[in-house]
Amino acid sequence: MATEAPNPALVFQPKPSLPPPPFTVGPVAWVRANLFSGPVNTLLTLASIWGLYLTLAAFLEWAWFDAVFEANSRRECLDKSPTGACWAGVRANWGRLIYGPYPLAERWRIDFAFLALIAWMAPLWIRAVTGKIAIAATIVCAYPFFAAYMFLGGTREETMTVLFPAAVLAGIGVLAHSACCILAGRPLPDVLLRPFGEGLTDKGRSRALAAIAAVAYAVVLAAAWNFELAEVKTDRWGGLFLTLVISGIGITSALPSGILLALGRRSTMPLIRILCVCYIELIRSVPLITILFMAKTMFPLFMPQHIVVDELVRAIVAVCLFAAAYMAEIVRGGLQALPKGQYEAAAAVGLNYWQTTLFIVMPQALKAMIPNIVSNFIGLFKDTTLVAIIGLKDLMLQVDSAGKDRDWLGLFREPYFVATAIYFFFCYCMSKYSQSLERKLSAGNRR
Amino acid sequence: MPPISLAVDARRGRVAEWLYDSRFRSIVAQAVVVGIVAWGFWYLASNTQENMARRGLSTGFDFVFGTAGFDISWSLFQISTPASYIDVYKVGIVNTLAVSILSIAFATVLGFAVGMLRLSNNWLVSRLAGWYIEVLRNTPLLLQIFFWFIGVFTGLPPPRQSYQPVEGFVLNNRGFFMPAPVAGETLWITGVSFLAACVAAIVLHRWARARQATTGKRFPSILAGFGIVIGATGLAFVATGMPLSWDVPKLRGFNFTGGMTVPPAFCALLIALSVYTSCFIAEMVRAGIQSVSHGQTEASFALGLKPNWTTRLVIVPQAMRAIIPPLISSYLNVTKNSSLAVAIGYPDLVAVWMQTSLNQSGRAIEIVATTMLFYMTCSLSISMLLNVYNRRIQLRER
Repeated sequence: MATEAPNPALVFQPKPSLPPPPFTVGPVAWVRANLFSGPVNTLLTLASIWGLYLTLAAFLEWAWFDAVFEANSRRECLDKSPTGACWAGVRANWGRLIYGPYPLAERWRIDFAFLALIAWMAPLWIRAVTGKIAIAATIVCAYPFFAAYMFLGGTREETMTVLFPAAVLAGIGVLAHSACCILAGRPLPDVLLRPFGEGLTDKGRSRALAAIAAVAYAVVLAAAWNFELAEVKTDRWGGLFLTLVISGIGITSALPSGILLALGRRSTMPLIRILCVCYIELIRSVPLITILFMAKTMFPLFMPQHIVVDELVRAIVAVCLFAAAYMAEIVRGGLQALPKGQYEAAAAVGLNYWQTTLFIVMPQALKAMIPNIVSNFIGLFKDTTLVAIIGLKDLMLQVDSAGKDRDWLGLFREPYFVATAIYFFFCYCMSKYSQSLERKLSAGNRR
Repeated sequence: MPPISLAVDARRGRVAEWLYDSRFRSIVAQAVVVGIVAWGFWYLASNTQENMARRGLSTGFDFVFGTAGFDISWSLFQISTPASYIDVYKVGIVNTLAVSILSIAFATVLGFAVGMLRLSNNWLVSRLAGWYIEVLRNTPLLLQIFFWFIGVFTGLPPPRQSYQPVEGFVLNNRGFFMPAPVAGETLWITGVSFLAACVAAIVLHRWARARQATTGKRFPSILAGFGIVIGATGLAFVATGMPLSWDVPKLRGFNFTGGMTVPPAFCALLIALSVYTSCFIAEMVRAGIQSVSHGQTEASFALGLKPNWTTRLVIVPQAMRAIIPPLISSYLNVTKNSSLAVAIGYPDLVAVWMQTSLNQSGRAIEIVATTMLFYMTCSLSISMLLNVYNRRIQLRER
């Protein structure tokens, strides 16, 4: 049955809607609602605009309009513009801020090692690359030996002779593996074993891989045999480089040691629990600077006479001991937040303590604590400035020494400003990254 | 032969039973860990003993009564000269506590203010407060201390051109000068009446609360309490003939004399600590207020409470429960952070005790131990406070 066309006169025809009243949509409405919604708000807005204008104007005048970008000494800067910033001084002292007193001819080693770290870590963020846990393990276990030799140089002792080529090989392996994954779409072992055909058993595969690795190691060892870098003692390390070394080691060591301490604190074994509680509470109740002073003055007393511990190593040990206690409390917070049902379910499935911890508890506890862990890392990064007080030439102290240079006597403001900007850049990036990570990981909880 | 293999099996079974017994395993694990720790301590202690014997260092606390061969640049109270080491320790503690307590007070006020601004529905104000927090908490405290010390307080004009906004309050590159109160003979009467009035106000408040709980009748006890305290103290002060005068700093020669003085390092440390801590407190305030669910506000409106009362009686008490525990631990952080004073030469405990005294006397172990003792006492008392508070505010769920 065909439907009849409805009578237009009987069908309800709405009139076109009127435009919204003025000032309720668009930018004008937004401004009214967010900036001028009442007398108090209007006053606050005007006061902030005025304050912002004054600060920005003064800052821009100092940092841009009156600033001197080309000069050879502070005197020249002051002659050109007494009120402006002397960025020429920062430019002249840039190397000092970044590398400290590291020899000029050897600075490429630091650049190279940091670029290598970036290249080594980049595969972790590339989706196509497989085996990310193994890559992360090589970064933690192999990269430090590579970097240590790059930074220190000198003749290699027995352990370094063996480990440095191994670290180099691990790095090359990671890069080759990532290249294979991205270009060929299959992991490195598959590509390496291709010439042997498909007929290999599992045992044969691992044997073949071990043989290839041994040959490669021998090649690297031979190639690196005569490779030697000039020695740079740790008292010539400094600047941002030293800050990154100390905080990098502190951050890397804090998580595993903090996890162990937190597990110890929640353990059912009374003696272990008491030891962990004492350690955590003792370290957390004293300021970092006292621990650094202790490392400086008491460490030589603690060690036998024939062992002389480098000053940098002492500071790093102090920072690691300090960071572990704080991380332990954060991990404990995560462990406590975990519902008891998770433990019971793991026990019901028949997992033992370490399986429960490794596969059930830790992933959830750490995930819940990511914001706190990262803010702890930020705190640690900021706290490494304290090593300047015990005389290590980190970024903070380099800023100070820039103003004591003969040509740039009294130049403090500009280097301080730049150092602040550098610290801010690192900390801000870390906090933004943690926020994005948190969003990504909590995607499962969103509805 | 069967009997022998049976015996072997039984032995193996017993060993396995031991190995898989969780009690046995936990005892072994603890013994191993305690053994390692004890060995470590023994190793360090024996090395220390050997090293000290070789360097001819002696131990013991007898040195604290000896004369410390250095002057302390600034202290809150007068110490005898030449000062003994125990005086130095006391001055260090008092100086640390002075700068910490003042910074805590300033940081709390500033932090709550910035936290409120951060929550403001004025977009610009909230953004500015957000940037204040972001910039301050992402730069190291040491850098900020140097900024205030070098950039601001030591860059002030010399005494002859000093800033003097109000007569008697002077700011120049030698520090901050203010009038010092000089107590008259009968001032103690005012003090006693102040204490008595405080007790009376507390009793009144308790009585008013008890009455409201039983009868529902309200009594403006807080207002009345303030009235009692101010009135009684003022009355006693006036009745005893205002026994208080002010010692005002005056410019004599090249510097101001008289009154109270705080050095530039104190000012720099105070401002840096307050400002740095305020951004953390502001975040706590924001998080605490946002943690109160919106349902609470709606429920309170549904009961007919006005917005003002909703804030006071519903939101703030619940937000405080989330704010106060981190707030108290941030107070502990202020105390610990005040040890950065050593970088700008403010004579706090770490500077005068752990640095100067240690270098002078060489008694590393005793000095490190006493320094740690002070900080641990602070930390333990603050965590005790926290536990008491947490027990009081814990939700009593049925």
